[in-house]
Amino acid sequence: MKNPFEAFHHAGTRKREIPLDTILKSKEETLSKILTGYEDLLKNEAKDLVWLMQYSTVIKAYSIAEKGMEGIEYTAEDIEEFCYALDHSDQIPYLITGPAGVYISALCNHAQEEEIRLQLRDLNVKINLLGYRLPSNKQLIVEGNVGDFTGIGLDGGELIIEGSGKNYTGAGMKQGKIVVRHNLGFNTGHGMTGGELMVGGRIKGLGKIVGGKVYEKDQLIFPNEGIKPFYF
Amino acid sequence: MEIEDIIQKVWPRVRRKHLYPQLPLPNVIEGGEDVALEIKSKQLSISSAFYQSLKGKMDGEEIVEAVLDHGITHYMYCPWDFHTHISLYNEAKKVVKQKDQAQKATTYFMDVVTDTYCVKERDTKLATLYRNLPTTGVHKVLTALYEKIWGEDLGNGEHEELVNRLSRIPYLERKRWGESIKKFTKVIQDLLEEEWENEHQRSPGESNPNPMGEHSLENYSLEEIDRGLREFAGAVEDLQEFKETVDDLKVELEEKGYGTGGMGRGKGNPIDANLLYYMKLAESYTLPLRQLPIEKRGFLHPHAHRPWEIGKPFADIDVWTSFGKIMPGMTQMWTKREGETHGEYEGTPDCLIIIDSSGSMINPRERLSYAVLGAACACNAYLKHESRAAVYNFSDALRGNKIVLDFNHAKEHIYQALCRYFGGGTALDLDDITYLLSCADNPDIFIITDMQITNLEKLIDFFNHIENRVTAVHLGHNVHATRFKDGTVKKKNISLFNVKNKEDIPKIVLGKVKEYMTSSLKWS
Repeated sequence: MKNPFEAFHHAGTRKREIPLDTILKSKEETLSKILTGYEDLLKNEAKDLVWLMQYSTVIKAYSIAEKGMEGIEYTAEDIEEFCYALDHSDQIPYLITGPAGVYISALCNHAQEEEIRLQLRDLNVKINLLGYRLPSNKQLIVEGNVGDFTGIGLDGGELIIEGSGKNYTGAGMKQGKIVVRHNLGFNTGHGMTGGELMVGGRIKGLGKIVGGKVYEKDQLIFPNEGIKPFYF
Repeated sequence: MEIEDIIQKVWPRVRRKHLYPQLPLPNVIEGGEDVALEIKSKQLSISSAFYQSLKGKMDGEEIVEAVLDHGITHYMYCPWDFHTHISLYNEAKKVVKQKDQAQKATTYFMDVVTDTYCVKERDTKLATLYRNLPTTGVHKVLTALYEKIWGEDLGNGEHEELVNRLSRIPYLERKRWGESIKKFTKVIQDLLEEEWENEHQRSPGESNPNPMGEHSLENYSLEEIDRGLREFAGAVEDLQEFKETVDDLKVELEEKGYGTGGMGRGKGNPIDANLLYYMKLAESYTLPLRQLPIEKRGFLHPHAHRPWEIGKPFADIDVWTSFGKIMPGMTQMWTKREGETHGEYEGTPDCLIIIDSSGSMINPRERLSYAVLGAACACNAYLKHESRAAVYNFSDALRGNKIVLDFNHAKEHIYQALCRYFGGGTALDLDDITYLLSCADNPDIFIITDMQITNLEKLIDFFNHIENRVTAVHLGHNVHATRFKDGTVKKKNISLFNVKNKEDIPKIVLGKVKEYMTSSLKWS
């Protein structure tokens, strides 16, 4: 009997593999590796039950993050995808902004690109600790608002925030430059020893600053006559 | 060969390739040389000037085939229907906030999806076509994107950063189109703004159109638009989202003759996006249509012939088929049967909606009000059964905050009355209700309120003295609702529903409407 649907059989179809398939597949694989590294970090941090923002905790988390991402080849776009995966995805059961920030910072610090641009305007959460230890050959541009402890321990890199930050921005930074287009919160630059912190909007309050320069609306506000360096 | 002949030759092949879409034979228009294709309803039209301008660069059949591949795939894959189109526009608008730019972004995204699908799934010459098209602005970026994601040399390898970002979007995953168009629009946002500014600086004749044609409401019929809006109303997160999108398309919708009065020819009424939202949402709540009952007619009619035998009545003989002879076995007589026919409804009563729009209720023009939606569903059901609906919308009625809409069939007027929000105190003027009840024969009454009515005792007393079927839906639990319940407990014609989830209101109302309608025989 003649097949009545014979005319449809392979009619004009070819289903060929195009480079888009490869790009998407590789993107998914990379994201999955990055997520695995993050989950490892969370497993380690979960032992402490409560994630306290202490210098030793951040150092420990950073070294675990570095180990977790060893051998992963990624680009700045992958880091951005990871940020959105944290925000939206059901792959990650919980988002702890501290470890997430440390992990993203580690990814940025070890990325191949010198300039990394993260478009995070649509993120529902504000990630803390972005730009932690940003080294001297890197420029990190974040479009959107960020959380607390942004750019702490900055180590020569340039961090540009196209939005606002919260408290303790630039705390403990050694060298480099942080530019924030809008406003910052309390304890800005707490314990910073060098570098420049430039804020386009307003700063709610400065921390105990040891060294470096802080500008508010193009005006040098530290060091000046009213605010002297603090010695711990 | 002329373009018409090429279309005649290529069309069967292209149809077969796309699994025989239900589209008419494409025609040729005297369009400009910048735009290849025009799509109106289901008619594809190829510009002869465009064809002539490319004829020297590539084979004529290939030009026509590639353009048709593009056009057909819009019907067969993306956007597929008006709902998908409007949903994509809605997502793009969330990023760019500007109507023209959102429309452009939607067009570009749909083109990328369509062409990529064609290149992956069909045997097409689209790559050759794009190689020969002049590219500027966004088109330049898109051609570079095609080069990267299709793996074809299109002579354009610029805009690496943008193309890198664009190439990571899963264009062929339909479920992720909403999220994808947002990413897509975000990446090309600066280019869209640049293009928009350039368009505004240019004189009207110097525009830079999309070579593969623009996508607008022209592509869809009124029925498709109506269905698309209904689906869109059910899919959006809130009323404001629907309102914003419909307001953007208001001019085009009105030009097309679409109005809240329904579909039809001629210029429609001005579109009120709020009314349209409730209309479309209410349409998605359906009541099964009652079938007309089959009834015996009560008298006999000739049904079939059988041979006449002695002893059978002469009156039943059919003289015409018996050749004028009376002869048993040869003479034919009629056998008779009692006739059956479709009966009539006993008649569905009219309905009176009493709706509270005091300050404690949601403003239906700001957020989705399930109270209004429930009332709208009830009205729809009664209107469909050719009954009339009246509305008594009240806040502090004694101070004039009320609408008394008499019994009528005009859906738009009824919706306007339902969507009116006063936002004041809560008191009924029972004289108005008495008047409305006097205008119809035993109408069904639906009252939707939170029961915090100042003259509740009078209302209870009033309901205790009428015999109409009353459905009272109250939101939230309070002492007033308990009082109403206690006060009307003996009345079997009053059903009281305490609604915990507002989302349940339309279903409760429709459930009651269904019950009333199936029991209307007994009632009347």
